[in-house]
Amino acid sequence: MTAAIATMEPETATTREVSSLAGKYLTFALAGEEYGLPVLKVREIIKILDITVVPQAPPHVKGVINLRGKVIPVVDLRLKFGFASQDYDERTCIIVIEVALQSSKVMMGVVVDAVSEVLTITSDEIEATPDFGEHVNTEFMRGVAKIKGRVKFLLDLDRIFGGVATLL
Amino acid sequence: MAKQSKPSSREVIDSALNRLLCDLALGDGGKLDVANRSSELVMLVVGLGSPALDSLIGDVAVASNVRDLEPALAAFSEAWNVWTPESEQASGPAAGPAPAAREASAAVAPTPAPAAPASNAPSRVDEDIAALQGDPELAAMFVGEALDHLSSIEACVLQLEASPGDTKLLNDIFRPFHTVKGNAGALGVTRVQELAHKVENLLDLCRSGRHTLGPAETDAVLEAVDVLTALINDIQARLNGQPGTDLEPRRWTLMDVVDGLVNGTSAVARPADAPVEARPHESANSTQSSPLGDSTPASDPTPRRNQGRRAEDVAGQAVKVDTRKLDNLVDMVGELVIAQAIIQEDPALLKTADERLTRNLSQLKRITSDLQKNAMSMRMVPIRQTFQKMARLVRDLSKKSGKSVDLVLSGEDTELDRRVVEDINDPLMHMVRNSMDHGIEDAERRATSGKRPEGRLALSAYHQGGNIVIAIADDGAGLNSERILAKAVSQGLVRPNDTLTPSEIHQLIFRPGFSTAEKITEISGRGVGMDVVRRNIDALRGRIEIQSTIGQGTTFLIKLPLTLAILDGLVLGVGTQRFVMPTFGVRESLRPVPEQVHTVQGRPCMMQVRDKLVPLVWLAELFGIQGRETEPCRAVVVVIEDDGHQVGLMVDGLLGKQEVVIKSLGEAFGQMSGVAGGAILGDGRVGLILDAHGIVGRTRGEGSRAA
Repeated sequence: MTAAIATMEPETATTREVSSLAGKYLTFALAGEEYGLPVLKVREIIKILDITVVPQAPPHVKGVINLRGKVIPVVDLRLKFGFASQDYDERTCIIVIEVALQSSKVMMGVVVDAVSEVLTITSDEIEATPDFGEHVNTEFMRGVAKIKGRVKFLLDLDRIFGGVATLL
Repeated sequence: MAKQSKPSSREVIDSALNRLLCDLALGDGGKLDVANRSSELVMLVVGLGSPALDSLIGDVAVASNVRDLEPALAAFSEAWNVWTPESEQASGPAAGPAPAAREASAAVAPTPAPAAPASNAPSRVDEDIAALQGDPELAAMFVGEALDHLSSIEACVLQLEASPGDTKLLNDIFRPFHTVKGNAGALGVTRVQELAHKVENLLDLCRSGRHTLGPAETDAVLEAVDVLTALINDIQARLNGQPGTDLEPRRWTLMDVVDGLVNGTSAVARPADAPVEARPHESANSTQSSPLGDSTPASDPTPRRNQGRRAEDVAGQAVKVDTRKLDNLVDMVGELVIAQAIIQEDPALLKTADERLTRNLSQLKRITSDLQKNAMSMRMVPIRQTFQKMARLVRDLSKKSGKSVDLVLSGEDTELDRRVVEDINDPLMHMVRNSMDHGIEDAERRATSGKRPEGRLALSAYHQGGNIVIAIADDGAGLNSERILAKAVSQGLVRPNDTLTPSEIHQLIFRPGFSTAEKITEISGRGVGMDVVRRNIDALRGRIEIQSTIGQGTTFLIKLPLTLAILDGLVLGVGTQRFVMPTFGVRESLRPVPEQVHTVQGRPCMMQVRDKLVPLVWLAELFGIQGRETEPCRAVVVVIEDDGHQVGLMVDGLLGKQEVVIKSLGEAFGQMSGVAGGAILGDGRVGLILDAHGIVGRTRGEGSRAA
């Protein structure tokens, strides 16, 4: 896998990063693929509920929900990653996560197809994100975990949602 | 003071000196502690009025860090141990104190002569910043405390002006100056320390009766408050990496003025000052029996002073709480109230015949609403401070314009939401300026119309039917409707043959760019101001009303909601979504009949509401969502108004009127036009709160683009 990385600089960087990636992950399904989120970022998991549409928001921002008196934004991860959208069903969940936006930490909901399980992933099982070529954007991934023959992509939430001032 | 040094003063100074030496030796206690101790000691020693000790203690006073403080203190304690009042008597006590104080003040001035202040200014500023940069927490504490002190000083100075000779007030001014100086010295903020020290010297002379606190002194002290506030704000800005302003010229000018006043002490010893000088001994009591038999202000100052003291007592028992925590609490309680209402309205419970359950539920309701009232009251602060700022403004303006004006304050204890108090400051300032400049006439014109030469400006705050009203009333010339109308016509704001009601004419002064003042004065008349006032008040969801009688004066009534956390809104339905339109932006709502609606290219675009044409817009279209109705006559039109422009908002239905707790959508969404926030509705879903200003703006913007 590492051989696929052409230049030296990212290689050393990612190897160092990989060893710090071990830990507990919440895994979930998205368009038939498996993804993992660091469990420490997850606040709670709720069943899909009515989402209030916010005008002028990009398509992947589904709107806002009431989370016990707090109004939080909800993002559809399928649309964010460019998958086709799918009607929500009883397995659809909103994972409430905390990400660091520009100046503060904010809570937001992420719509996924289904939540799988919480896994403890050791550093042996994790590899740096391979280079899939131009067609796959690997910028949001921290690494890849191989568990029992299945591959799970570990996501970097702050990279996905943080850094930008707003979702709009 | 010199005569009052009793035998016990030796013990007092001994113990102060000891404590300070202990603190230094042990190296414990914060920098501020040491500074306070050392300034305490300095005060005591200066109080003795010994020139010999004064020069030594002067070194202690100006020591800005422990390294300088230790040797200075050692030198002083050596001299102190052999010093006796008798040894001083021999060298002539009478002439002693004043020059000594001057010496001390001279010692504080930087070694490079003040003649070249500009050249060394930047480095001094950098030094101050460097001194604070090491410990941001301490710096923040210093800034916060200093600003608190300065605002309390300002209030006291204004009170003192009204009741001259009040020694308690003078002390209340002296003490915070002293603390600011001490803290600044301890942290090495030498620019602040120098200035505070000079003013403190001046005040000390006044306190001991060696100098009279006249208008020049009051001005200097007020200017000092301004300069110090500016200095400290500047320091804070620089610490936050923002560009600063150069305040050195202003600071040096002021320091020269203060020096001039201090040095003039002995030279201008007017015999008229005698009664004041005689007073310090009975100071602790009251000034009600003031021998300075000025009859006019005598009744006025007393209640004001008492109020000042009451505010002080209250402050003593207060707890400082992060406003975010408070806002959180208020939010949660708001949710609780809504949750409680949902339960109360639950069909299952409405059907119940269980008496105990019903009783318990109403008990819950009572507690919830009490809790809400309490939580709300925590955000409330009295408007006193804002009014006091106006007192200062009126004083300065009346000096500048030469109009003498009596300011009457009432209802200073009326409580408003903290944010309202902060945000009302600027509009109120504009309006006071406006009343002073355009409202109240000059003395000659007042005399010809048979009025008292002094203008009267009354600021009051009171509750009225769920609103808080702030009234600004002047007894000036009143609004000249004809002139306003003529001006508005000439500026194209209204058509010549439009018929306007008197109140509509008055409201014209809030239009952008409107000003009837024939000359632009330093105070106002540039046509900016009143529209800003209106915008600020709108942002607070308030209204301004004007009552004016020509020749008798004008009263502006600012009506504000009790709280900003809760909003009264109409719930509108569009497709599956619901929206909340704040009621203050709604003029009316109606279901149009076909004759009212005019179409352009087959699309409904205008509606006749009585004699007015109102542009129509589908909310669903505006927000890009799916609505149920597409036929205007089956929709409900909600006519909203912003800044005089009306727009008919077409929605599927009107679902009711409801109080909602306003929630921010969070920084994730940034600024959105047309949406002011979110609210949790009765069924737990989120409804977006609409913003009339944004919607009207967008409709107009799109209209002009299409044209």
